[in-house]
Amino acid sequence: MLAYTFRRLLITIPTLLVVIGIVYILLFSAPGGPFDSERVVPEAIQAQLMSKYHLDLPYWKQYLLYIGQLLQGDLGVSYRYADWSVNELVSGALPVSLAIGGLSIVLSLLIGILMGALAALFRNSLVDYLVMALGSLGSVLPSFVLGPLLVLAFAIGLQWLPSGGWDHFSWPFMVLPVSLLTLINVSTLARIMRASLVEVMNSNYIRTARAKGLPIRLIVFRHALRPSLLPVVTILGPLAVSSITSALVTESIFSIPGLGILVVNGAANRDYTLVLGLVVLITAMVVLVNLCVDLIYAFLDPRSRA
Amino acid sequence: MRSIQHTFLAASLVGALALSSLFTWAATVPAGVQLHAEQTLTRNNGAEPETLDPSLIESVGAANLTRDLFEGLTAIDAQGKIVPGVAEKWRQVDPLTWTFQLRPQAKWQNGDPVTAQDFVYAFRRLVEPKTGSKYARTFGDFFLNGKEVSTGQKPPQELGVRAIDKTTLEIKTSHPVKFLPELVSNPNLSPLHAASIEKLGREWTKPGNLMGNGAYALKSWQVNSKIVLEKSAGYWDADQVKITRVTYLPVEDGHVDVKLFESGQNDWVYMLPPGSYDAYLKKYPKDTRNTPLLALRFYSIQTQSPFFKDVRVRQALSMVLDRDILAQKVTADGQLPAYGLIVKGVEGADRVDYEWANWPMAKKVETAKALMAQAGVKPGAKFTFSYNTSEYHKKMAIFAASEWKTKLGLAVELEAMEFKVLIKKRHDGQFEMARDGWNADYNDATTFVALVKCDSDQNHSRHCNKDAEQLIQKGLKESDQTKRKAALNEAIRLIMNDYPIIPLLQYSLPRLVKSYVGGYNTENQMDRFRSQDLYIIKH
Repeated sequence: MLAYTFRRLLITIPTLLVVIGIVYILLFSAPGGPFDSERVVPEAIQAQLMSKYHLDLPYWKQYLLYIGQLLQGDLGVSYRYADWSVNELVSGALPVSLAIGGLSIVLSLLIGILMGALAALFRNSLVDYLVMALGSLGSVLPSFVLGPLLVLAFAIGLQWLPSGGWDHFSWPFMVLPVSLLTLINVSTLARIMRASLVEVMNSNYIRTARAKGLPIRLIVFRHALRPSLLPVVTILGPLAVSSITSALVTESIFSIPGLGILVVNGAANRDYTLVLGLVVLITAMVVLVNLCVDLIYAFLDPRSRA
Repeated sequence: MRSIQHTFLAASLVGALALSSLFTWAATVPAGVQLHAEQTLTRNNGAEPETLDPSLIESVGAANLTRDLFEGLTAIDAQGKIVPGVAEKWRQVDPLTWTFQLRPQAKWQNGDPVTAQDFVYAFRRLVEPKTGSKYARTFGDFFLNGKEVSTGQKPPQELGVRAIDKTTLEIKTSHPVKFLPELVSNPNLSPLHAASIEKLGREWTKPGNLMGNGAYALKSWQVNSKIVLEKSAGYWDADQVKITRVTYLPVEDGHVDVKLFESGQNDWVYMLPPGSYDAYLKKYPKDTRNTPLLALRFYSIQTQSPFFKDVRVRQALSMVLDRDILAQKVTADGQLPAYGLIVKGVEGADRVDYEWANWPMAKKVETAKALMAQAGVKPGAKFTFSYNTSEYHKKMAIFAASEWKTKLGLAVELEAMEFKVLIKKRHDGQFEMARDGWNADYNDATTFVALVKCDSDQNHSRHCNKDAEQLIQKGLKESDQTKRKAALNEAIRLIMNDYPIIPLLQYSLPRLVKSYVGGYNTENQMDRFRSQDLYIIKH
């Protein structure tokens, strides 16, 4: 198991190198550069800026220079946020995104699995219909509709919570964004959990267990739950990454200083280093989350331990 | 290109402007107004500032912040009028030379006196290429040798600024600049504390490091969340500063901005979402404000492109576009129709509309059709219009395209792109017609003339009228304001009759500001509000 984990972590390195290379090509082939502005900058100043940020070097040199910096843990300086380094920007935004995304993932897992399981066990009952109705609502209402509705109800109408903003992880500012992300994730997770458990409950070994006269509680907890979690775990990887790194809509609705707004501003302003830094971060996260997912898989399904 | 003239007139004009420092200029609270116990203000600034380094700032938002953190030689008060800043008085010694007398009590936050040398350091730093400021030329060109310094042909020491003594600053300009006192109110020309910058390098703008001389000090800064400023006790006019804490928000989305306002977390919406002005005017009649800005919305025409080579085509397209519908129905946020280069409120040239501006539309269309026929353009002819992706610009572009289609039978292909791409295309002349706009850097006609004059980097039309250019150069060298104005007026008339651009609207700034924010008004056409000129009324 350890060797497997280590091997998987090692693969991250070439993955990162390739991803950085591809992003490099994409960034530099996009028209417009970081220093294009309404006014044309005199050549002397343009040259000064280019050499300050090593943009006057050939692409391959820039790439190597960047990798060299990266090895020292330095993500470079930002052009869009000129007073800040990418390290500073990321270390400011990452905890915010982790808090919102992480909390919502935990909550949606708990609620989603519970709701999905209930719906599956009480199939075609009122519980099932309610859960499925809620689930459908969460999937048909996009976050840019659901978010403002939450704000309208709880911030402007009832005035219980702030409508947006961020204040050092103070909880009132986190309630609405976490709720929004949770509502959306729960609907996906509950539907998957329901479908999966229904299928498992119809399988032969469960039928055998029932025929043996095992109580339903035992059947569900000992035999059915674990295998029915597999599809949930599969979806968990991408869901977790997207909740943390690309919750852009949530961030903009609630004006939260997370990673999403950095990604968008970085790309729009051709902030090469900021975009690269974020890509490195997100790639690393995807790899890690996928590794976790595989490890959980191994735990849930003995057949995949080979 | 501006020529540099060194002719000092023997009988030099003595500057009429010599303002006394006996008056205080910060927040003047009218008699009878009761102040709120808590003097705090939250204002949305529209975006995260690119930097707080005055030499490097470019955006309106960063300028707002640095106006609170730094104080230049002069300042603009809430009414948009020039008031003394660090300089308590100034004098034009001759057409090209000014002296500014600094107040001895002006201090940096650490108690160091603000000296003339601090301005010399800042001006040189702004203009020299090493700094990499995009505003090096914008302001540098006004100073003697500024252009040569910004292009690296002369060392920064040759820039026309010099400290005569600790409290006397001399500025030499490259041509007569009557509005210099207003120009130096720009935050790019704030003094800088050299010792802090040299010691801290890139870190000098961080909270705890930033050494300012303004009414406020930088308390905290969380990127994309908020910047908090607190009243600076050592500021020379601190007694007159009412607001003790200012929070600047960087919210870009107008809808989110309004929601923060409605839930009481924001006193100042930067700009209402497009198309919502009328609704909010009904909902919050006291808080909804709209200021016509010194800014022009226009479309640039690439005059060297085959389709637009003929001036008659350009004129016809400009004529048939119904600005009244554009202002009242399409954009519907209180902007004013524009029929010329100069908008309402600009000094240094008159606002002159095209003679056809008030014709009935039928007559305009008939004339335009005739012009098109003379130019040999047949209905069905096609050109491309480029704009940067935004609901607002798209709405305007669709309206314009439909005007040209229904009235002249032209087929317009609309091409949306990212802003950075549009900027590049415009600079490179790779377009036929493109969305454009300009917000005055200072209140003088030259900031708009730069959009259409020969060899200007802002002249996207690539059109050059040689006669007009001569007049402009003549006007710039002129120290008699009446003659200068006449020359510029004539030059603008000549250029605009060549139709290099299609003027559309004078920008306005529809926003919500709580009625208890005292000092805010819609007279300030540059939208420059120092927090020290505002106060919170009891509510």
